[in-house]
Amino acid sequence: MAIEGLRRIDSNRIEVPRGYKTGMRTNGIIYVDETLEKELEAHSIEQVANVATLPGIAGSSLAMPDIHTGYGFTIGGVAAFDLKDGIISPGGVGYDINCGVRLLRSNLNKEEITPKIKEIVNAFYRDIPTGVGSKGKLRLNSNEHKKVLLKGARWVVEQGFGEREDLEHTESQGCIEGADPDLISEKAYKRGSAQLGTLGSGNHFTEIQFVDEIYDEGAANSLGLFKDQITVMIHTGSRGFGHQVCTDFLEVMQRAVRKYNIELPDRELACAPFDSPEARDYLAAMKAAANYAWANRQLIMHWVKESFMHVLGAGPETTGMSLIYDVAHNIAKVEEHVVNGKKRKLIVHRKGATRAFSPGHADLPEVYKQTGQPVIIPGDMGRASFVLIGTEKGMEESFGSTCHGAGRVMSRHQAIKKAKGRAIWREMEDMGIIVRATGRGTLAEEMPEAYKDVSNVVNVVHNAGLSKKVARLRPLGVIKG
Amino acid sequence: MKKIEQIDISGDVGLRIWGKSIEELFKNAATGMFNLVTDTNKIKETEQKEVSLEADNHENLLVQWLNELVFLYDTYGFIGKVFRISIQGNMLKATISGGIFDPGTNESRLLIKAATYHGLSLKKVALHWEATVIFDI
Repeated sequence: MAIEGLRRIDSNRIEVPRGYKTGMRTNGIIYVDETLEKELEAHSIEQVANVATLPGIAGSSLAMPDIHTGYGFTIGGVAAFDLKDGIISPGGVGYDINCGVRLLRSNLNKEEITPKIKEIVNAFYRDIPTGVGSKGKLRLNSNEHKKVLLKGARWVVEQGFGEREDLEHTESQGCIEGADPDLISEKAYKRGSAQLGTLGSGNHFTEIQFVDEIYDEGAANSLGLFKDQITVMIHTGSRGFGHQVCTDFLEVMQRAVRKYNIELPDRELACAPFDSPEARDYLAAMKAAANYAWANRQLIMHWVKESFMHVLGAGPETTGMSLIYDVAHNIAKVEEHVVNGKKRKLIVHRKGATRAFSPGHADLPEVYKQTGQPVIIPGDMGRASFVLIGTEKGMEESFGSTCHGAGRVMSRHQAIKKAKGRAIWREMEDMGIIVRATGRGTLAEEMPEAYKDVSNVVNVVHNAGLSKKVARLRPLGVIKG
Repeated sequence: MKKIEQIDISGDVGLRIWGKSIEELFKNAATGMFNLVTDTNKIKETEQKEVSLEADNHENLLVQWLNELVFLYDTYGFIGKVFRISIQGNMLKATISGGIFDPGTNESRLLIKAATYHGLSLKKVALHWEATVIFDI
């Protein structure tokens, strides 16, 4: 697609120059090769340029290869802002705060599990509340709810659902300090009280997979991955709790835009100066929602492990299931990065983008200090998912960030139209993948053709050096909302 | 006059809504949204909810109204069927009759996270009102 004013920098990057749009304070960089360039939406390019107009932006306004149009900020967007002159924006995080992915390894291999996949998928479907109107097995009272917001996955482990070492294997140890439960609306508390430990709907899933290809033996080894090994991936976020926090603060930010006289090209970019009470309140509330999401994935992981043990009639030593890593892909965090040779503290927004810290980074646990941070990239339910690791180049170029998934190519409506008269579940079963979904239209909307091929997306970040491929995982069974 | 039309957006879903009055438009928007969640014809009227809201302008009032309804179904499973709405200035008062979604018997369609400000519009065209709202799902 030829869009006036854009310039190809190299085989993996396109520049949106400063002159592309009035008011841009910096350029935009979109990581796409020539294949993915054809799928670029004009509106998403506009959004990359819009973000470049925001006060205090550091470096470039970035977009990963799974870019598509979002609200205000594009999905796949990475933008960092100065703590003094910059802003924070809920639109740069998204409604599903700390939507993310975790990956479990096991001692099991494909051959022994394949005959049991249907049973395991059914056990997941029974044990993990899924879809519209589903309620969690826990009802949080107000005191417990506050503890979840303050402690995240740590609270869940303290209740006996998981191991201490799970926290080491979770971004931010499953808990960002500085959450403030007093800034959460009554509505968010009400929405969140029955939804902890639920998967949700849309593109959220729990999937059984096997390791189909290994690209980096050394890294795979240190992550505990081997060929034909069974893995489980969980993709969900902060559920209604986080959605309500975002809804509440978008209103606060709309008022802040007027109060601080911030000029915006799009209302959904509503933001507040980072050094303002509105920003402090949002950040503390966002952290609470992020912690809720880590608690949510920790709890679901517990039921995944139980489902496996139940179906196989085996103990934890046999299944050998443990957490490889858990990453957030909708979040804003204060981090230190080098920009134009200068070390700066920045508020890094990743919306549909994953943190990918390099080997040796101070924030990584001992176990991954040498290897680098594991990055989990889910694909669609029919093709593949990937494990990558962070790189030094990613630290230099993209604030230690990489892509987050496949990104849609078809709208839900187009997908439903395309799926008409077809039994998607049967097509998937013919491919050797057992699927179950709650929603009537979910399987049609989520069919593989509705998404970009995640391999193309991952190849761009790998070739651009933002992160490095370790292994490819293929699906065997999946539950969706 | 057409009441609602679904808009096709990559990844999400939107509604174009019409009404002879602003109150009717708000009612049609609510019915349209609940029908994205489930078949509202299958919901029995068993409960009533009262809603009272104030916003800076009509557009924001529409987003807040729909987000109030998102809150009611996401928290209580409440699906509205009959809406009595009055709007004065930028203030809305509504009484909603509806019932509770049952995941066992009611059809699950979309789980809406929020009504957004993205592409939002609400205006009076000749003698009727017209609006566009996009939902995050």
